[in-house]
Amino acid sequence: MSEVRAAMSRRPAQIALFAIVLAFAVAFPLFLPKTDGNTDFMVTALTYVMMALGLNIVVGFAGLLDLGYVAFYAIGSYVLGWLASGFFANANIHLGVSGFTSSLPGIHVNWIIVGIVAAIVAAIGGILIGLPTLRLRGDYIAIVTLAFGEIIRVFALNGDAITFGKDVRLTAGRQGITPVDPIQLPGIERFNPLDLRPWYWTALVLALITLFINFRLRDSRLGRAWIAIREDEVAASSMGVPLVRTKLMAYATGAALGGTAGAFLSSYQNTVNADSFQFSFSIFVLAMVILGGLGSIWGVVIGAIALTYINVKFIPDTLNPLFNDIGVGFDPTEITGGIFGFLLVTMMIVRPEGLLPERRRKLELTEGIGVGESDLGGEAHP
Amino acid sequence: MSSEPDSPPTNADEVPDAILRATGVSKIFGGLSAVSDIDYAVPRRGIVSIIGPNGAGKTTFFNMLTGLYKPSTGRIAFDEGDITSGRPDRITKLGMARTFQNIRLFGTMSSLENVMVGEHSRMRAGLAGSIIRTPRVRREERKVREKAREELAYVGLQPSQHDQLAINLSYGDQRRVEIARALASDPKLLLLDEPTCGMNPNESARLVDFMRKLREERGVTILLIEHDMKVVMNVSERVTVLDHGEKIAEGGPAEVRANPRVIEAYLGKSGTEG
Amino acid sequence: MEAASVPAPSAGSRPLDAARGFLQRWGLIVVLLILPVWFGIQDLSNDGNLVRLGNNLMAGLSNGAIIALIALGYTLVYGIIELINFAHGDVFMLGSFVAFQFWNVVLGIGLGSSVPAIVLGLLLSMLVAMIVCATLNVMIERVGYRPLRNAPKLAPLITAVGFSFILQNVGLLWLGGSPRSVDDLIKAQDTVFTFVGISVSRADLLAFGVTIPLVIALTTFVARSRLGRAMRATAQDPEAAKLMGINVDTTIALTFLLGGLLAGAAGLVSALYQTNVWFFSGFQAGLLAFTAAVMGGIGNLRGAVLGALIIGCIGQISDNRFGGEWTAAVVFGYLVLVMVFRPQGLIGEETREAG
Repeated sequence: MSEVRAAMSRRPAQIALFAIVLAFAVAFPLFLPKTDGNTDFMVTALTYVMMALGLNIVVGFAGLLDLGYVAFYAIGSYVLGWLASGFFANANIHLGVSGFTSSLPGIHVNWIIVGIVAAIVAAIGGILIGLPTLRLRGDYIAIVTLAFGEIIRVFALNGDAITFGKDVRLTAGRQGITPVDPIQLPGIERFNPLDLRPWYWTALVLALITLFINFRLRDSRLGRAWIAIREDEVAASSMGVPLVRTKLMAYATGAALGGTAGAFLSSYQNTVNADSFQFSFSIFVLAMVILGGLGSIWGVVIGAIALTYINVKFIPDTLNPLFNDIGVGFDPTEITGGIFGFLLVTMMIVRPEGLLPERRRKLELTEGIGVGESDLGGEAHP
Repeated sequence: MSSEPDSPPTNADEVPDAILRATGVSKIFGGLSAVSDIDYAVPRRGIVSIIGPNGAGKTTFFNMLTGLYKPSTGRIAFDEGDITSGRPDRITKLGMARTFQNIRLFGTMSSLENVMVGEHSRMRAGLAGSIIRTPRVRREERKVREKAREELAYVGLQPSQHDQLAINLSYGDQRRVEIARALASDPKLLLLDEPTCGMNPNESARLVDFMRKLREERGVTILLIEHDMKVVMNVSERVTVLDHGEKIAEGGPAEVRANPRVIEAYLGKSGTEG
Repeated sequence: MEAASVPAPSAGSRPLDAARGFLQRWGLIVVLLILPVWFGIQDLSNDGNLVRLGNNLMAGLSNGAIIALIALGYTLVYGIIELINFAHGDVFMLGSFVAFQFWNVVLGIGLGSSVPAIVLGLLLSMLVAMIVCATLNVMIERVGYRPLRNAPKLAPLITAVGFSFILQNVGLLWLGGSPRSVDDLIKAQDTVFTFVGISVSRADLLAFGVTIPLVIALTTFVARSRLGRAMRATAQDPEAAKLMGINVDTTIALTFLLGGLLAGAAGLVSALYQTNVWFFSGFQAGLLAFTAAVMGGIGNLRGAVLGALIIGCIGQISDNRFGGEWTAAVVFGYLVLVMVFRPQGLIGEETREAG
C-alpha cells in the first residue's frame, strides 16, 4: 500500500483527534482562575510555537541554517515599542485605539495593525539578512545569520545613542521600552494583566494561523521548491526553481512570523526588554525545531511546548525542590544553559531526526540521502 | 599517425535550423582548460550525441549549456536567444531540460512530487496563492498533479509507484522518473547525460525506442552524452567526439566510428597508452 | 557555488576573472583600512600626531596575538573537517580559568610571591592549561563530532553549540557570572618602553612572547613533520589520505589537540592581559577568532594569524573610538562583508566551491 494512501486512511482519525485537542485548548482556561500560572505558561508556549514554526520554514523546509532568528523577534518587538507606547513622547498619534490609550502621549496604533506592520518590517529584515547568504554553503549561512543577530542585539542595547534629528532615538537602550500598549481588539476592552484569557485566546488564534500557513505552504508549489532546494540545490535550479527568489521567500516568511510573534510577546510582557535579544534565544528556538523534527510541523509544535515547559516550569519548579532535597548547593536555573547544551548534544547523537520526524528528514539523517550534493557531476578535473 | 587535418571539423555552420548553437565555447578552471573553443550546433528535432573518453569535458560542456557553469569564452544561443550566462532555472523556463549522470532525484520526495517540481517553471502560484488556495491555485495544483501522473505513465511507471519515495525505486525506474521530471517542463530540447548508464541491452534498446517516440510524438530535440556505442550508433543522426576538451570529429555515426583520430582517442596513441 | 544563483554580467574570460579577484582582495583591504586611516587623520588634526592611533594599533596587535592562538584552532579544524568548532572559544575560556585557578589555588602564587616563583608558576600554569584544553578539545571531537562525521553539516554544528553552552555553564558555576578579577602578577599595564611615542606594555610583550614561538612551532610542525604532512593530506583529500595509510581519525584528533594547546596558552595570556576571567569571554573571543580566521582565509594558517592581527586592531580602534559596546557590531559587520564579497578571505585562493 503506498504511503500516501496509508496516510489518507488515517485522516478521519487525525481530524477527530485535532478537533478534540482544539476544543480542549479553547476551553481549558475557562476552568481556571483568570491569572492562573498554567494559562500564563500556555500563552508563552503558544508564542514560541509560532516562532518555532516560523523558523521551521527557514531551517526545516528550505534547509537554510539560520542561527540569528532572534533578529526577527527583536524587530517585531521594536515595531511594537515604536508604534504602541509612549516612546516617541512628543508625537501624538492614535490609530484604532480607544479609551485610556487614546489619551496617552506617544504613538499608539492598534495591535492588529502593529502585528501586520511587524510582519512586514521583519520580512524586509529577513530579505536583507538572507541576501548575503545566498551564495554561501550551510555552515557559512549559520555564521552570517548569527552575525546579523548579534548586530541587531548591539543596536538594540545601544540604540539610545543613535538619534535622528532632535529627539528621535532608535531604541531606549538598555532599559528597554516599558510600558507598551496591551492588545485591544475592536469591541473588547483593553487586555490587561488581570485576565490572561483574552491573551491566551489571541495567542491560540495566532498559533493556529501559523499552523495553517505552514501546512498550506508545505503542500504547495513553494513548499516543494523549498524542499527541493534543501535536498539538492543544483538539481532544483536545473528543474526551473529560481534559487534566489525562493530562498528569500523562505527567509521573509519565517521572519514575518517571528516578527508578529515578537510583537505579541512584548505586548504580553508589557515591555520591550533589550536584554532578551541574545544568541541563546536563537538557539532555544532552533532547538525546538530540531527536537520536534526539522520540517515536521506537528513535531515542531510539540518541541516548542516541551522546551518551553522545561525552561519555564520543569527547571525552576520541579528540579529546584529536587535539588534542595538532595542537598545540591546551587539553584537549578543556574544550569539551564548546561542542561540545554546537554539536550542538544544528546539529541543530535541519539535521535537527530527529532521526536516526530518528517519522513524525509529521517531518511536524510539516518541514511545520508540528499546530503552533500555539492558537486556538479563533472568529470574528473585536473 | 593521422593524416587528418589538425583543426577539428567545425560543421556547426552546416546546421541551418539549429535549436542550440554554441560558438567558441571554453571553460577554464584555475588555468587548466576543461573545454576549449568548441563550436557546436544541434539541429531542431534531431537526436544527436556527444561522445568521448573519460575526462573529455562532455559533462562540463553540458553544464555550460544548462547554465550551471559560466563559459570562460564564447556564446551559446538557444532558440535564437542568447543564454550564455543564463541561470539554470531561466534556461529551463526557456525550454531546455536535463537529466544527470549520477541520478539526482529528490530522494525523500515521491516520484510524483519529483515530477511536480519539474513543472515549477510552468506554474504560477506564489506565496499568497499557496496559502490562500484560490480556486485558480487549486485548479493549477490538480492539473499539475495530473500532468505529473501522465509523464510518469509516459515513461512507463506503474501508478502504484507514483507515490513511492523515489529513493525506494529500482535504479532503472529512478532513471525513468528523472526523465519524466525533465519532460514535465515541456522542453523543446532534452539533454540526457549518460541515460543508459547501468542499463542492460534490453533496457537500452527500449530507451532508444523511447527517444524516437519522444521526438516523433512531442517534437523534442534530444542531445545525449553516451558511452554505450550501440546506443549511439543506433539512435544518433549526428555524433560529435570530444577529447581533452576539444572537438576532434563530427559527422554521421559510421563516419565517426571509422575516424582514426577517434579510435586513437579511445585507445590511446599506438594502442598502448591507457 | 559558481553559477547556480545570480548570474554575472557577462561571459567572463580569464583576465576578467583575475581582475574580479584582484578587485575583491584590494576592495577588502581598502575597507579594512578605512577605520585606521579615518581616525589617523582625525588624530593628526586633533593632536598633531598619530600616537593615539599608534597605541590603538599596538594594543590591537597584542590582542590580535591572543586571538591568533584561538583563530588557529578554528582554522585547523575547519581546514580538516569543514566544521566550525563552536565550542573552541569556550575551551579557551576554560583554559583561562584553569590557568588562573592553578596558579592561584594550587600553587598559591600571589602578588607577594617572588619573581622567580611567579615566572615558574605562570609557566607551569600555562602548561597545565594547555594540557587541559587539549584534552578537552580531543574529548569533544571524540564524543560529539566523530559519530556525526557523515551526517549533514547541521548535526555537528548543533552539537558544537551544545558543547559551547555546557562549557559556558561550567565556567558560570565555577567562578560565577561576573568577571572575576585576577592578580596583576605581571603588572600588565606597565610600560616597558616607548618608541615614537607609542608605549609597549608588559602585557603586549607577554602576548607576543607567547604567541610568536607557538605560531612558529605550529607552522613548522605542520609544514615539516610527518604528522603535519598527514594533516595537510587529510585536509586536502581524506579518502586519498586513507588509501595512503594515514589514520584519518588520529590525524583529526591531533588537529583538535593542537588547537586545544594553543587555546590553553591563549587562556593564560588572556587572564594576565585582561587581569580578569569571565565565563562569557569564550563566546566573544570565539566569534572574534572565527571572524579572523575567515578574513584571513579559512584553512590557511598564515591567514588566521593575519586575520587575527587585523581583527585585533579593528577591535581596539572600535573599543577606543566608538566604545566597547559597539565593537561586536563592527567586527560582525566586517565578517558579513568578507563573507559576501570575498569568502575565501585575504590570502585564500578562489576555488570552485569558494563560499
